[in-house]
Formats: sequence, C-alpha cells, structure tokens
Amino acid sequence: MAVDPAARQVWSLTQPAFDGLLALLGPDRDIGAARYLEIRRNLVRLFEWRGCTTPEEYADETINRCARKIGEGEVIRDLATYCIGIGRMLLLEMGRDRAKQARPLDEAREPRVVVHEPDDDHERRVECLRSCLGRLSPDQRKLILSYYQGDRGDKIKNRTGLTRTMGISHGTLRMRALRLRASLQLCAENCLRNQAATLP
Amino acid sequence: MRSQSSNETWHLRYLLGDLTEGEQVEVEDRAFADAAYLSDLEATEADLIDAYVRGGLSQSDRRSFELRFLTSPQRRRKVEFATALATMTAESEIQEPRAAGRPFFTRALWGWNPVVQLAAGIAILICIAGGAWLVSENAASRSRVAALEAERRGLEAREQSLRQRLGEEQSRAAALAAQNRQPSEAARAPLLASLILAPGLSRAQTSVDQLVLSPSVQIARIEIQLESRDDYPRFRAELRTRSGEEVLSRSNLVRRKSGPGFAVSVDVPASALAVGDYELALKGITTDRTSQDVGFYYFGVQRR
Repeated sequence: MAVDPAARQVWSLTQPAFDGLLALLGPDRDIGAARYLEIRRNLVRLFEWRGCTTPEEYADETINRCARKIGEGEVIRDLATYCIGIGRMLLLEMGRDRAKQARPLDEAREPRVVVHEPDDDHERRVECLRSCLGRLSPDQRKLILSYYQGDRGDKIKNRTGLTRTMGISHGTLRMRALRLRASLQLCAENCLRNQAATLP
Repeated sequence: MRSQSSNETWHLRYLLGDLTEGEQVEVEDRAFADAAYLSDLEATEADLIDAYVRGGLSQSDRRSFELRFLTSPQRRRKVEFATALATMTAESEIQEPRAAGRPFFTRALWGWNPVVQLAAGIAILICIAGGAWLVSENAASRSRVAALEAERRGLEAREQSLRQRLGEEQSRAAALAAQNRQPSEAARAPLLASLILAPGLSRAQTSVDQLVLSPSVQIARIEIQLESRDDYPRFRAELRTRSGEEVLSRSNLVRRKSGPGFAVSVDVPASALAVGDYELALKGITTDRTSQDVGFYYFGVQRR
C-alpha cells in the first residue's frame, strides 16, 4: 500500500525542523546525521517487512511527523524508539483508512494478488552477476556459491561442510555469506545500471 | 529463549505475516536492538527468497510471499537477484562432480546371503587391486604430462621473449632509420604500439609485460595468443584497471592465424590507457551465446 496523499499530513520537513531532529540525536551534527540515517534505515526495514509498496515514502512521512512533534515542543527521550512507534501508528492508520473506504474493484489501488511478471533482464542480470563473481577471490566465490547451493537437506549439508572446511561457526558463516550476498547484489545492480546507460 | 531452529521458524512466520501484531512488534524491537538477531532475520529472509525462487514453498506460503515480497521495488530486486544467483549456483553444481558417499551401501551389503557377500568381497578386492595399479600408472602419466607441460610453457615463454625482442629491435631499427632520414620523414612517428600476451601469466608474477606508448601512438594493438582448446566462433574482451574499473570491452572478436597457433587482437585507443596496471579478461562465446572464461592477462602501461 502506498502512502495515500489524502491521508498524509499536510506538513513538509523544513530546515529548522530537520536541524532540531539532528540536534536531538547528538551534540555533533555528523553523529546526529549518522544516527538519523540509521533510524531511517530501520524505518525502511520496518515498512518493507510489513509489506508496504513504498517503504521509503512511509519512512519519510514518519520522520516528518517526528520532526513536527519536536518542533511543537514535545519532549522525546529516545527518538529512535519514538520514530518506530510513529511508524507503527502510520501503518495502523493506513490499514484503518483502507478498511473504511469501500470502493469498486476497478478503482482499487493494487491487485489482491500480485502476479510476478517474467524478468526480461534475467540474462543481463546473470552476466552482470557472473562478472561480479569473477572479481571475488576464489575462496569467497566458493563460499557464496556453495552456501546457496542445493535445496533444503543438501543446503544444510553444504553449509555444515563449509563450517568444517573453514573452521568457523554456523553464525560466522551465515554472517559472511550475507555480507557477500549484499555486496554482490549491489555490484550486479550497478553493472545493470551502467549497461542500461550505455544502451542506445 | 528460543533455539536457533525455532528462531528461524519464528522469523519465517514473521516474514510471511503469520504473527499477531504483538508478536511482530517483539521481533522488530529485538531486531533493531540486537545486530546479531537482525542478521539472523535477514539471513532467513534470503533463504526464504531462495526457496520461493526454487519453487520450494507451499501454496499458501507462496501466496503470502507474493503479497509481501513482490509489492515493493526493493524486495522485487532481491527476488530478481536471487533468481540470477540460483542460475549461477546451478551452473557451479554441474561443474563440480558430486562426491561419492553412500553410507547405507555397507548396511545393504550385510543384508545379502553369505555366497553373494563372498563374491562381492572378492569383486571389491579385485577392484581395489586394479584401482591401485591404475593409480600408479596414472601418477606416472601425470608426471610425464607435467614434464611435457613445463617444457611447453618454457618454449612459449621463450617464444614470447623472442617476439618482444623482435618488436624492440624493429622499433630500434625504425628509430635509427628515422634519424638517418630527411627531417620531413623523421616526423613520421609510429601510430601503433603492439603487445603480445601469452597464456599462463598470473597476477602473482613479479614482472608483467609492459606496453610502452610514445606520444605519437594512437592505437595499442593487444594480441592474445590462444591455446588449441580455445576454439570459439567469437570472443569478448574486457579491459579493466587493477582496481576493477572497466576501461572498455570488445565483442564479436574472431581469432586469426598467428604463427603456429591462433590469436585474438584487440585495438585500444591509446588515449584510454593511463599509466598503470591492467587486467584483460578474454571470454569465448559459444554458438548458443553463452560465455566461458578463456583467460585473464595482466600488463602494465608506461608512457615515454
């Protein structure tokens, strides 16, 4: 569900309000900015996990509301927790508004079931991923390909084998694989973006 | 405190939207407060996406997944990436032979009658003896092959060195000829610089070939010598700096005869080559348009 413009509070984040928000996050502007980014990241995660179509928009709306409250003089001890609470209220609000509005099916915002469209860029994505894998060291490449190989039982066997071969715990292995996966995804997306930019 | 596996089940239910509001809040608050817990949740999410891509979810879980994971651009990108990763892991699975390991074979053997057990035991002994003989023959053959391979590499290295020396001599001769010519002819400086790369070079080698570019050079022609097995209809070359930044790529390259073997040539504008170290990746393109790595070649660029 996207943030309904009609339901969104009519208030834009001004520079003084943003400065007030940063000041509450730390004595130093750089520290405040880093904490702000962390709060925003967590808000985006929250809305993503809850199945929102536009998590970034929801996160920005939440931060707008928090900054407004600060500007109005509300005393907030833990801004991170406060923002998450505001985010959850926003989710409930949107859910209630949608339930109230009975509308004809052809005016509904999203389909009830989302059909997964075939991915036309799959070949190019695979080529980009192959190129990104080629830039890893042989050990890293083996780790990522073995970790995500196979189904269910085979997957468990592969991962147990990796912990023995590498002499690390399951938790450490999981962390390494997750980090490698994230950096590979970023690399592949950059590659795709560069390819799209050079296409006629 | 839940165990690891029950944590995973709990996370799966959370990600598919099967928990109550209170339970969801519990998971989220813990994830925001505990980095290890957050990583566990993200790892479960990655496995869930992989299971969806491989068709490993039940119908109801699949429906829940599609409702929650195909609605935002960020999550759709994760699913698309997982699909590409599944392709790559399947490819690597085909290339790696499965290790033999059938522990139940021994148990099955005990179920047979004694005569069959005896026959199976004799057959196993014959196989072991035969296998030992094959191993020793194989070892002897491998050492002969290794010796021949070392000799071949030595000859190739010598050929490479002779080619480079020939190139240097030709350049020197041209320079000398230019000195003896009329002033107007001396203005004709070389527009083309050549470099020949042979297989078997690695980044770890302490000295790599150098491509020297004089100010007049417009084109650098890099010739990559191929091994006989590198028989592809087309080739693709990708040139990168040492830090991985792509400089250029060339597709639809064809091999041509070069001495006793074949080579692929890549022309690079000299203006694209700053001083530094480079990696040239050569890929063979098959008739069904899949690409296979032929080799990685390393060289440095210097300017006069």
